[in-house]
Amino acid sequence: MTQQTSILPLLAIVLPVAFGCASILLRAHGRRLHEGTALIGLALTAIVSFMIVGAVMDGTILTLWGENFYVDGLGALMILLSSVLGLLVVVYSIPFIPTRLLEIQHAGRRLSTYYGQLLVFLGMMNWTCSTNNIVMLYLSLELTTLATAFLVIFYQKRASIEAGYKYLMLVTVGILCALMGIALIYSAAAGLPKTETQGLHLLLISDLAKTSDRMAPSLVLLANAFLIVGFGTKAGLVPFHAWLPDAHAEAPEPISALLSGIVIKVGAYALARTITIFSPSFSAIVIFIAIIASASMIFGILMALVQDDLKRMLAYSSVSQIGYIVEGLGLGTYLGIYGGLFHLVNHTLIKALIFLATGAIVMVAGTRKISELGGLGRRAPVTAACFLVGALAIGGLPPFSAFMSKLTLFIAAAERGLMWAAVIAVFTGLLTVACFVRAAYRIFWGQLSAGREMIVDEVGEVPPAMWGAMAAIAAVVITLGVYPKVAYPLLDNAAKCILQVLGGVAS
Amino acid sequence: MGSVAVNSGLVVTLMVIHLLASMVVAEMKNLRSAVYALIVQSLTLCVVILLLGWGQGWMIAWFAWGLATKVILLPYLFLRAIKILPRQEAEPVVSSWVSFGIVVASVLVIYQILHTYLAALVPTVAAAAEPTRSSLAMAFTVFLLGIYVCIVRRDMVKVIIGVLLLENGAHLALISLVPSRPETGIIGIVTNVVLAAWLLLYFGVVTFRALGTTDTMKLSELKR
Repeated sequence: MTQQTSILPLLAIVLPVAFGCASILLRAHGRRLHEGTALIGLALTAIVSFMIVGAVMDGTILTLWGENFYVDGLGALMILLSSVLGLLVVVYSIPFIPTRLLEIQHAGRRLSTYYGQLLVFLGMMNWTCSTNNIVMLYLSLELTTLATAFLVIFYQKRASIEAGYKYLMLVTVGILCALMGIALIYSAAAGLPKTETQGLHLLLISDLAKTSDRMAPSLVLLANAFLIVGFGTKAGLVPFHAWLPDAHAEAPEPISALLSGIVIKVGAYALARTITIFSPSFSAIVIFIAIIASASMIFGILMALVQDDLKRMLAYSSVSQIGYIVEGLGLGTYLGIYGGLFHLVNHTLIKALIFLATGAIVMVAGTRKISELGGLGRRAPVTAACFLVGALAIGGLPPFSAFMSKLTLFIAAAERGLMWAAVIAVFTGLLTVACFVRAAYRIFWGQLSAGREMIVDEVGEVPPAMWGAMAAIAAVVITLGVYPKVAYPLLDNAAKCILQVLGGVAS
Repeated sequence: MGSVAVNSGLVVTLMVIHLLASMVVAEMKNLRSAVYALIVQSLTLCVVILLLGWGQGWMIAWFAWGLATKVILLPYLFLRAIKILPRQEAEPVVSSWVSFGIVVASVLVIYQILHTYLAALVPTVAAAAEPTRSSLAMAFTVFLLGIYVCIVRRDMVKVIIGVLLLENGAHLALISLVPSRPETGIIGIVTNVVLAAWLLLYFGVVTFRALGTTDTMKLSELKR
């Protein structure tokens, strides 16, 4: 693969951060300025992300400042997802967020904080996905947590404060475990004879990968355990997931869409960048990851099944779905990595779609309790259709996008000899269908109690900007299901980028 | 590494003070006193960084940054928050004497195990020798002590102090394992959790204003 020095990775970071800071600094100005700043900033970032994807599609790697900034197919895929989803979330937020701020003091200033922190977070997210430096990875990952902590407590309700504290505390403890893992890996490489590390920069992941098969095995296993705890906490894997249901439930719905859509994926991305460099030499790591991933799948969906709060149900479902992604990425085979990345893309889109649809439900019905909802299908048909698309897709039913990614993962696990993991994945898929179809039926076509009928009669469809953003994501979910080959070049390139590192280790 | 050999005794002495200070930080019920013990704990870490990384630019920068953040800024933030919050920590999950017993026993057992079997974990023969061997065993012990504090203590301020113990343990492991490369100093400077600790203290104050307590077991009352 050829390398090309480019300023594009830096632009993908600086643009959203600059526009976000501008929004925060101009907090005394009106609502339109903040919305316009966010829209322009993210539209430009989305254009840059498409340019990055175009540049790396032939296998080129964009670098800057040595190899500290390093965007390959995988990084480009993540930057594209975060930038485009970020833009759609801002479009959705324009009519949505002001309606949620009616009872909050200094609503105008709160809007500047909302858009400002959202953009800064997306900049940090792009930084995480465009660095090859393990310390920058750590730092940017921690900054995504700090930027989103204030977004979680945006409503400033008592429950959201608890969720914000829990989120920040647990993810910080997790990230410090990752720091210990990074220190051990770095020391394992630094401890090698100088002839073996000559010309290598030991903070670069690609250079660490070149020495991974010669590192002390016990030290590598200990370091990987710390990294799995650290990045696994950010990803929301069981048993490090305790922050996730509260944070997802209490954050504003567009932020929940980003938390579930991309924040937890960045934890999986960090795992894919770091742990996989050791999987060719240490097969125990593959088994360990498969056990944790399977536990996440089954625990997450069982917890989702017993929730009455729609957002908590979605949050636990994310715990379950991240298990699929991590299992695929951890298998270390082309099919596993391809399936893991495909499901990462699908889950990002599908869960964002369902969370945005949930925001629409909360906006029109004023509650997120499934038992208090019903009959919304006639009043909000676009929202109902989008939610249903998401529900069927997350269950892995054809012709929606997650069908192909889950099928790929089942086959990949079976081919790797992990039949038990494949069975758990299939069983979890069936429970997911039951969980989401039941919720969708209850919310949109179920019977309401006598007291709530009157409220539903007053309900109408959400504003066009909201349903437009949802419909756009739903269209992509259907397109990727009917024509999965559309995503193939991008996913193939990203999977080969991980495999190239593995190949380098193996050789 | 020459400076390491010269200051070996001093480094081990500082490490012992560091470990004892960590135990005091973990067990002290008065939060102001716990913060003062944290200052001592962080100061010993900074001096160890200076001694082990003597003469290297990035290490001196890490020492200076650590002094500014761990010894001055963070304690100042804690003491300012404690002016608003209760001075005495919320009753821990485990009672004082039991906790003290657990901490002392754990520290002794973990240190003994790590000190004995460290050769299997370290990357080089040199790292298995003194003072690295002792400081590394102490680093892991302090790290595990941080996890213990985060799990067992109920007071928000004390849990945040536990996070700092975790960070100091990781930093001590880093400087113990690789004292001779400039990248070590870069990692140490960049991975400072001062912003996270400041935000967590902010959450502590907001929670206290809403609930009148910093007891994490009562946080669920915020949902009502």
